[in-house]
Amino acid sequence: MTILGFVAMIFILIFFGLMVLLAVSGREGSRITLRQIPAYIKVQRAIELAVEAGSRLHISIGRGAITRPESATAFVGLSMLEKMISSASTGDRPPVVTTGDPALAILAQDTIKSAYQEIGLIDQYQPTLSQLTGLTPFSYAAGAIPITRDRKSATSILIGSFGMEVALLTDGCERSDNRSLAGTDDVSAQAILFATADDPIIGEELYAGGAYIEAGPMHIASLRTQDVFRWILVGVVIAGILAHSLGLDQTITNLFEGLL
Amino acid sequence: MKIQLKSPFTTAIAMSVGLVVLLGYFFGTNAAGESTTLGWIRDFFLRGAVLLAAMALLVGVANLASVHAAKIRTKKEAGYSLILLIAMFTTILVGLVDIVRMNLSGSPNFTWIQWVFNYIQLPVETSLMAVLAVSLTYAAARLLGRRMTIFSVLFTLVLLLLLLGAVPQFYAKVPLLADMRNWIINVPAVAGGRGILLGVALGTIATGIRILMGSDRPYRG
Repeated sequence: MTILGFVAMIFILIFFGLMVLLAVSGREGSRITLRQIPAYIKVQRAIELAVEAGSRLHISIGRGAITRPESATAFVGLSMLEKMISSASTGDRPPVVTTGDPALAILAQDTIKSAYQEIGLIDQYQPTLSQLTGLTPFSYAAGAIPITRDRKSATSILIGSFGMEVALLTDGCERSDNRSLAGTDDVSAQAILFATADDPIIGEELYAGGAYIEAGPMHIASLRTQDVFRWILVGVVIAGILAHSLGLDQTITNLFEGLL
Repeated sequence: MKIQLKSPFTTAIAMSVGLVVLLGYFFGTNAAGESTTLGWIRDFFLRGAVLLAAMALLVGVANLASVHAAKIRTKKEAGYSLILLIAMFTTILVGLVDIVRMNLSGSPNFTWIQWVFNYIQLPVETSLMAVLAVSLTYAAARLLGRRMTIFSVLFTLVLLLLLLGAVPQFYAKVPLLADMRNWIINVPAVAGGRGILLGVALGTIATGIRILMGSDRPYRG
């Protein structure tokens, strides 16, 4: 194993240990206050509105292939999907889920079916509630646009891996006065969403979704662990800046090169 | 015999395979750079995942066809759905004809399906790209009307500055504009982008660990 691999393994082990520790301490009754992320408050309201007004919720979990790094975003979308479907399925119009990746569409189907089973509405489950709308970015967007522009849909929740094609979906929402809440892992698409979505989810806020919609204690523990590691990284970055300013960066580089 | 893969069983399989793949990443090669047994098992699982994802494509296409067949039956946006189904089956047919032609000639010859790609799919997607440019311009213009916050104002100002800095007529007359544009692109934009990517990386690790622990289960069984 290389030194870099060893450091990565230690990093993951510490991350894992801290997550377990915080999950256990969280179960012992300590009250956790999460900072307000407006988009997630509106997700809850959108679900309630969909049930009360009998409108349809459109949930898109993007086109992150499960064999690629962006699968993490897709899995975040899936973990939120189950909770959202459970809450919104009692409405007059069942939520519709769109994806741009076939394996993700199957997983979404499975998640929806499981959510219907858990709330005892399995007889109302239809396989077409999860739709693969296209296989390329733009064909996926083109296939999902009619759903975003459906006047019976009040809100589109777009959480997953999207590229710039996501602007076509948010544009579809705007044209039919539907709200759009959206987040993605792609930096350029995040800038697009900031301008086009009603409620954009920026940066790592996307990965906090599970904690905010109460998907489980482990989600809160992982969010707190991310916060701890974020501060550690901030410290490392500041130390790097100081080292550079003091002219020590070359010495540190040589030291690491010697280790590697 | 009907095998029922209930949650604990599928969770155990997923966790074990995930763990082997993760360990394979760290211990997949020995000091000489050769693949170890763990590396071989990891590659076996990864190849299996790729094959399964390819099979999922067929299921996905069937799902797409069934959704649009249902729309035709209920006469809801039936026109578009009909066009989609005709286009889909024609493309599949053209692909099959190309495969037959390849087998008959004995050499790779996918000219027909390539024609479909070059002269139908590519122009359609390029047109959507053009629509996207219009949508983005419109959205940027409407941003302040939709959400008047300090960040929206900053976003719009920076956007205008970058656009002006990219126009030769402007930056030739005001060199400061080009310098500012370059500074924004190279310093704050890169710093912000890296900050976001660090957050995304931490989120990815957290998601991966939750799946490995069986806390998140995107599979049900």
